[in-house]
Amino acid sequence: MGFASVNGIERPVRLCEKTRAYAEESLGHKYGLDAKKTPCVSLDGITGFESFSPVQKYDAAIRAIAENAPLRICDGELISGAATLGAAISHVVPAFYNGAAVYMSNSHLTADFFSIVKDGIDSIRKKAEQAYRKYKGTDKEEFAKSCINCLNSFDIWHKRYLKELYNIGYTANYENLLTVPYKPAKTFYQAVQSVWFAFAFMRLCGNWPGIGRLDLLLGPYLQNDLQNGVITLDFAREILAHFFIKGCEWICGDCGSGDAQHYQNLVISGVDENGCDVTNEVTYLILDIIEELGISDFPTTVRLNKNSGEKLIKRVAEVMRFGGGTLAVYNEDKVIESMTKYGYELTEARRFANDGCWEVQVPGKTNFSYVPYDFLQLLQKKTLKSYDESVFFDSFDTMYNAYLSDIRGLLEGLLSDVKTNLMKCEDGGEWVWKPNIPCTVISLFEGGCVEKGRSYLEGGPVYNVISPHIGGLADTVNSLYAIKKLVFDDKKIGFSDFMRVLRENWDNDEALRQYALNKYVYYGNDEDEPDLLCARFLSDFADICKELDNRSGYRFPGGVSTFGRQLEWSHQRLACPYGRKSGEVLAANASPTPGSDKEGATAIIKSYCKNPLVKLPVGAALDVKLLPSSVKGEEGLDALCSLLRGFVLLGGFFMQPDVADAEILRKAQKNPGEYQNLSVRVSGWNARFVTLNKEWQDMVIEQNECCR
Amino acid sequence: MNVADEITLRVSEIQRFCMHDGPGVRTTVFLKGCPMRCLWCHNSEMQKTEKELLFFKNKCIGCRLCASCKNGVHTFKYGHKIDREKCLLCGECEKNCPSSALLICGRDMSIDEIIREVKKDAAFYGQTGGVTLSGGEPFAQPGVTELLKRLKAEGINTAVETCGYYDVTDAVPYTDLFLWDIKDTDEARHKKNTGCRNKPVIDDLFAADKAGAKIRLRCILVNGVNTDETHYKNVAALMKKLRNCVGADILPYHAYGGSKAELTGREDNGDKALIPTEEQINRFKEMIKN
Repeated sequence: MGFASVNGIERPVRLCEKTRAYAEESLGHKYGLDAKKTPCVSLDGITGFESFSPVQKYDAAIRAIAENAPLRICDGELISGAATLGAAISHVVPAFYNGAAVYMSNSHLTADFFSIVKDGIDSIRKKAEQAYRKYKGTDKEEFAKSCINCLNSFDIWHKRYLKELYNIGYTANYENLLTVPYKPAKTFYQAVQSVWFAFAFMRLCGNWPGIGRLDLLLGPYLQNDLQNGVITLDFAREILAHFFIKGCEWICGDCGSGDAQHYQNLVISGVDENGCDVTNEVTYLILDIIEELGISDFPTTVRLNKNSGEKLIKRVAEVMRFGGGTLAVYNEDKVIESMTKYGYELTEARRFANDGCWEVQVPGKTNFSYVPYDFLQLLQKKTLKSYDESVFFDSFDTMYNAYLSDIRGLLEGLLSDVKTNLMKCEDGGEWVWKPNIPCTVISLFEGGCVEKGRSYLEGGPVYNVISPHIGGLADTVNSLYAIKKLVFDDKKIGFSDFMRVLRENWDNDEALRQYALNKYVYYGNDEDEPDLLCARFLSDFADICKELDNRSGYRFPGGVSTFGRQLEWSHQRLACPYGRKSGEVLAANASPTPGSDKEGATAIIKSYCKNPLVKLPVGAALDVKLLPSSVKGEEGLDALCSLLRGFVLLGGFFMQPDVADAEILRKAQKNPGEYQNLSVRVSGWNARFVTLNKEWQDMVIEQNECCR
Repeated sequence: MNVADEITLRVSEIQRFCMHDGPGVRTTVFLKGCPMRCLWCHNSEMQKTEKELLFFKNKCIGCRLCASCKNGVHTFKYGHKIDREKCLLCGECEKNCPSSALLICGRDMSIDEIIREVKKDAAFYGQTGGVTLSGGEPFAQPGVTELLKRLKAEGINTAVETCGYYDVTDAVPYTDLFLWDIKDTDEARHKKNTGCRNKPVIDDLFAADKAGAKIRLRCILVNGVNTDETHYKNVAALMKKLRNCVGADILPYHAYGGSKAELTGREDNGDKALIPTEEQINRFKEMIKN
């Protein structure tokens, strides 16, 4: 099968044949399909299960998983542990009672792997025991007990692996697991095994955690081992490759929005909490592996800053050129600035990773969720009343302000829902958390939970964030801009007449539609007038979020995303003032409306960077599509490096460049068999192209078409 | 008022994020007018120095708003006909056309204006990228050397794509790279297929080389026109003789430019028979490798 490349150049070979064959198997759905054969364990035989409290039910489920989940040890695997229950791939705790899942599981978080690797799970057990003693006799006792129960279950699963590895003579894996993850890792090899084993257990129990800053975590171990001569760089690469290959064990080729979005992102390079560059050998080994195998799980984001070295940027560009959208970049200067402005301590901000997708958070201590809204729909259906005859505004500003007030209403509504559903106000006026579904496994690895005696979903983590997201940013701004120009500035048509034209889906005024499409320049072309309207709009949105921040124990920072929702939204959207008819494909994330960006990638980046990104500490994603032909050769590589540097220099936040050719994608659509592992960046995640359904595939092709 | 304010250049297009007109990220300024009339020209709308009315047929929605032209350029009796003889290039139809199917090619821009435009991508130029002047033939316009001088003064890396028909020694100090066309080395064929003699191209090339210009040759390869061994050998010999030549690129003919000829009312000159074979390309590459 080989590992797909879009630029016609064979991917380099550094790994041994056996590891490459293992990667082909994993990418070729072998283990995902295997997991589907055993979707869950059964809770049916447990006496008195129905009379258990929710937490008791959860603990019983985790224990049943630990005791009964199939073990999987792949031929020659260098690290062990596997999430073998298929229902976990559907985001539930894979323990069923009466044929149905009992609990949903958790995602959009990055677990604290630093404590696991450096201090060992024994240290977490110690904290859990302390908490249990402390909270005995209080309403927190049950959670503290559950922590101990889940650690006991972890123990059971760990012992099963030890026994099996011993029996089949996998000595290295066995010996590593005698130490980790319980005790602190001593070597690089142990450290990788430690991360993987804990990660695999969380996933086995249904959760989808992100990994976070793997090179920062593993780099010092590798450096130490290299100095002591106990490992070679080549062997370290093999071990890490097995980590990546095992990370593909949930790929099963299911069609839909892609089969590779389990939020298992990792973040490399950047500065540590003291501001020192962390880039190390592990950073480059990770890039080597992604380059060779084209593995897009774990989707990897590189933290760049204005001092990022030439070597790193060039290496990143080289890997990007093979396509697949396997690498994205943060400009950490902007991210850290936005987080500190928002109120995080500088050292905390410097620790940032993401929620497993691209939304920024302090890893290992944040409960994060986001709420996406279609802001274009809000404009069309609420502010402009579906273009009803009754709607009228006599100036742009009155219309704009009416829209802002609708946005405020929407966000206040969200906040009040959060309060009603998640919080309650105690007699003293203090907001406290209502009980939520149990989630102890993930709570064990999120800083704050065990100590506070509160679960991840009940305010346990240090930071609790709900982030409202603008969807359809470019479409919204372009709509506002087109009305401003056509109706109020250039007086091409009266407001009410224009509403009629839109109500009729442009069917009766093609000339005006063409005028709107062609005679104005929209967001994404480095033209100040539309770009600054976008900036003003985002700034106003961020201000509203700020006003509502922390009103009930929740942080409320805004972000910009669509995550592919533009596809489902497009069907419900009415005609757009900038010339789109109803139902047409619309803009992704903070990217321009497809087809309206006529000046190329640099202009897109410039327009995006004019936005007040510093006011959006969760992030705003920019997708940039590049043709393989435009980044080929040394010149192309230079150009891609310059694009990355320019992005940082101009103050971008997060960018996902994807090198893909619409023609190749069309071929893959026709002959999926030949393109099994061709991945594309969809939006915050990568997907193997052939596992997207037709509608998603068409959207990706259309976006790539537009970059020509 | 300084010199730069007074000089204007006739620009047909400014394109950002060009990856193949020199190293790094570049902005390419296409200048209008060229002394040559190459058989294979893929930018034929940039040949004439004069402004021209372009018509993008596929964008036309047939709304006939252009029919209001006072000079009767646009008629619709037998489909949309454009009488370019009558056109005074007033730009009225361009303004009226809602779908941007009509466009006046050629905009006179001051050097300041051009600089402002190309500086938009300054953040992306880095160590390697910059501005490339192309066309048309940039040196057909007298203000080009001044433009290059100003670009250098702004710290912007400069490259020029030239057909080599002009003495460019004055521009050498302000040009980081010349992308120098060697269309043919056979004098008679050169004259026949480009309308100009080859000797001045070669003379100017050596003059520029002597003045210290960094040069990259650009060799169009047209099947059946210059795909003979002698031409390959001549180019290889030329490279050897030049002191500052940093390499050569082969540009295989493509037929896409043909459809662009129709924009200005010319015949589509695209001819697939002129596309060179892989074998021809590889043979040429082999010859100029060293």
